[in-house]
Amino acid sequence: MTNTDTNILRAEKVSMRFGGFTALNDVSVTFPEGQLTAIIGPNGAGKSTFFNVISGAFPPSQGRIFFRGKEITGVPQHRFARLGIAKSFQITNVFPQLTALENVRFAIQCMSQRFNVWTPRGRFREMEEQAAALLQMVELDKHHHRLAMNLAHGEQRALEIALALACNPSLLLLDEPTAGMSPEETTAMMDLIIRLAAQRTVILVEHKMKLVMGISNRLIVLHHGELLAEGTPDDVRANDEVRRVYLGQGNH
Amino acid sequence: MIGGYPIELLALQLFTGLALGSVFVLLAVGLSLIFGLLTVVNFAHGAFYMLGAYAGVFFIGYLGNFWLTLAVVPVAVGAVGLAVERWLVRPLYGRGIDYPLMLTFGLAYVLVEVVRILFGAEGMPFDAPDVLMGAVDIGVGYFPAYRLFVIAATGVLVIGLWLFLERTSYGLVIRAGARDAEIVRVLGIDISRVWLLVFGLGTGVAGLAGVLSAPMRSVFPDMGTSVLVEAFVVTVVGGMGSLAGAVVAGLLVGIVVSMTSLFAPAMSEVSMFVLMAVVLLVRPQGLFGKKGLMG
Amino acid sequence: MTLANPQEELNVSGRRLAGLVALMARHRVAAVLGFLLVFPFLLPYEALAVNILIYGLFALGFNMVFGYMGVLSFGHAAFFGLGSYATGIVIVHYGVPWLPAILIGVVAAGIGAAVIGALATRTRGIYFAMVTLALSQCVYYLVYQLEDLSGGENGLRGVDVYDLNLPGLNLTLLDPLTKYYFVFAFVAVAVWLFSRILASPFGAVLEALRENENRARACGIDVARSKWLAFVISGLFCGLAGALNAIHLTIVPIESLHYHTSGLAVMMSLLGGMGTFFGPFVGALTFLVLEDVITLVTIHWQLFVGALFVFFILFFPRGIWGTLLHWASR
Repeated sequence: MTNTDTNILRAEKVSMRFGGFTALNDVSVTFPEGQLTAIIGPNGAGKSTFFNVISGAFPPSQGRIFFRGKEITGVPQHRFARLGIAKSFQITNVFPQLTALENVRFAIQCMSQRFNVWTPRGRFREMEEQAAALLQMVELDKHHHRLAMNLAHGEQRALEIALALACNPSLLLLDEPTAGMSPEETTAMMDLIIRLAAQRTVILVEHKMKLVMGISNRLIVLHHGELLAEGTPDDVRANDEVRRVYLGQGNH
Repeated sequence: MIGGYPIELLALQLFTGLALGSVFVLLAVGLSLIFGLLTVVNFAHGAFYMLGAYAGVFFIGYLGNFWLTLAVVPVAVGAVGLAVERWLVRPLYGRGIDYPLMLTFGLAYVLVEVVRILFGAEGMPFDAPDVLMGAVDIGVGYFPAYRLFVIAATGVLVIGLWLFLERTSYGLVIRAGARDAEIVRVLGIDISRVWLLVFGLGTGVAGLAGVLSAPMRSVFPDMGTSVLVEAFVVTVVGGMGSLAGAVVAGLLVGIVVSMTSLFAPAMSEVSMFVLMAVVLLVRPQGLFGKKGLMG
Repeated sequence: MTLANPQEELNVSGRRLAGLVALMARHRVAAVLGFLLVFPFLLPYEALAVNILIYGLFALGFNMVFGYMGVLSFGHAAFFGLGSYATGIVIVHYGVPWLPAILIGVVAAGIGAAVIGALATRTRGIYFAMVTLALSQCVYYLVYQLEDLSGGENGLRGVDVYDLNLPGLNLTLLDPLTKYYFVFAFVAVAVWLFSRILASPFGAVLEALRENENRARACGIDVARSKWLAFVISGLFCGLAGALNAIHLTIVPIESLHYHTSGLAVMMSLLGGMGTFFGPFVGALTFLVLEDVITLVTIHWQLFVGALFVFFILFFPRGIWGTLLHWASR
């Protein structure tokens, strides 16, 4: 089926209910290929829920998700990496007692060798080299043999990005990548994201509006689980609804 | 007649199932309580059941009165449970969910062997009180009075437990189901006291199940071994952490086993596992379980 | 503790291991087999040595799921028992020679693991222990009922394999030392295979599942299927142990299928050191030697076992070998 969409990802009438609580209500949104789109909104807007739905953590109560024109609603999480969709988690999620290199080497291995019970891992030299290259890209090349749990917080988040990159994704989903970071770490992370966005589509969830205004091609604003506004940063900045919601809630 | 069996026989067998199921309910309730708050699967639960039966033998010798014994046994067994929680299980809370499980497994060996040393390996009799001997006409036939009593006693306990969980602040904390929830600080309750209470309550109820069972099954050191498996099956079927699940699943399993022993006696022991397998295939979180805890 | 890849074994908790221990870690298969080769000469009698081999293998297989993948199963008695009974039954009732009989035992255990694993992997976390215990106990009840085949309560008797019928060699299992090396041959192959699997990409999958299941899933691992595969492989190893046990004892006791036997695997693994290569054999050795010694003094061995296990869980959760590794890495 040819993709007549220039959108790499499309969410159609997505709703999500947890018991009696509606976290997302009828959200329809498109994400153009090759661009950096940020999903923003005040806390509780439903950003994380939306992120979880589009990244495959759980299917929506209602609605559909399309990747390059093909429906992926309800596809189990473990298939996403092979489709070329990679994610990073809001709370750092790495393999604590493996070294940084082993972390990334494993993620690369997952792309081709999941059930091989025979060949010694040491034979797959290229995987180690690729892992080293990825660690260099996220500036962790001095920490190959440090256990992930012994890395600083910002380094762990960088490792998380390296893990996501291991599957060579065409779509990279990042959930609050700068959470808990110092200003220097945040700047480094944003630089990395800009570099990554040059080569693939990036969708970013962030509640600090200032961070994403300068770097995004498009913004999607959620509020109380509904789509409030979408468009270029300028469009969104000029949007009255957005101003009311954000200015009314103080500066973000 | 249904399937060649008179309705009266089927009804009586159903009641037998309810009596059997009542013991399952008590076991599952205790297990579920302990798991719900402490995330501990008590592999010594069968041993506490056994302790209850032996405590019954011990106290009835001293007190001479069945009803008093019935009141004292859960307290005595619960006291052992309190000690176990405080000194053996609590140090393991930070460590990972498998450790308390393994510890209680080892503890079961200790408890069984201690009982064997104190009371010997032979089975001991435990008689129901005279007033409950004999059978009662329940309309479809004569049914042992003692078993009716067990069904009734379980009902009373479940209702009492429900009231406790719904109406008291300790109950609220337990229902919230977290080991260190905000709710505890808000209510100004000492959480370690709640841990003690829950473990004591859970094991106490297991002990009660043991002493109630004693006149129906005999009393011997290994009596908790098969009971542990039955308790697990009921819990998987009903869903962990749910009082309603424990009640429904307990009675259901009791009835299934009882009816199977009528129609296909060789399969009666295996029937509960078939039920469990079906539940696992169709609804892995159990009948009343929350999704995300299972499957 | 990451010890599947020999490279990692040198970085326990980020520190380098000292001398001999590091050397052993690098050549773990040779170290284990070398020790086991001379083992019977270190013990008072060979039957104990054979038991240690067999239960060490049992614990080794169990460790794949428990120590390396981080999942607690209480149902591995089913695989040990199925291996024993399948091998025993085809020898007793159908006169099958020992080699195909052992293979049949292994396959039977594998099938059991496939079925139980398929049901059990539908659950998560702590439920796995309960479900596996219940399902394996179901196997116990089933085999108990099939009295004509299995001997019911009394177990299966008459698993008599004496002459090995190997061309050119006059070997009989009536000689204790021959029996030891017979069992050792199988255990050696098993240990080598086990090491190979741990060093493979699937070995890394096991550890990833232990470290962070959600992350593994996001990386593309089908968690349920991987767990199932690990369960089946583990079952095959335990089945081999059971098959060998049937021939060693010439009987198959019904207790082989009871969850107490599952508990043995758990206890030996913890005692020795979960997730370590030497742990299972160290655990089996410690457990069985202690049992031997203590039952000379009292019949209440179970009390001691339980207390010892509780003690280790509270104070030495790394087990004997694990604690040794930890100290050596200071």
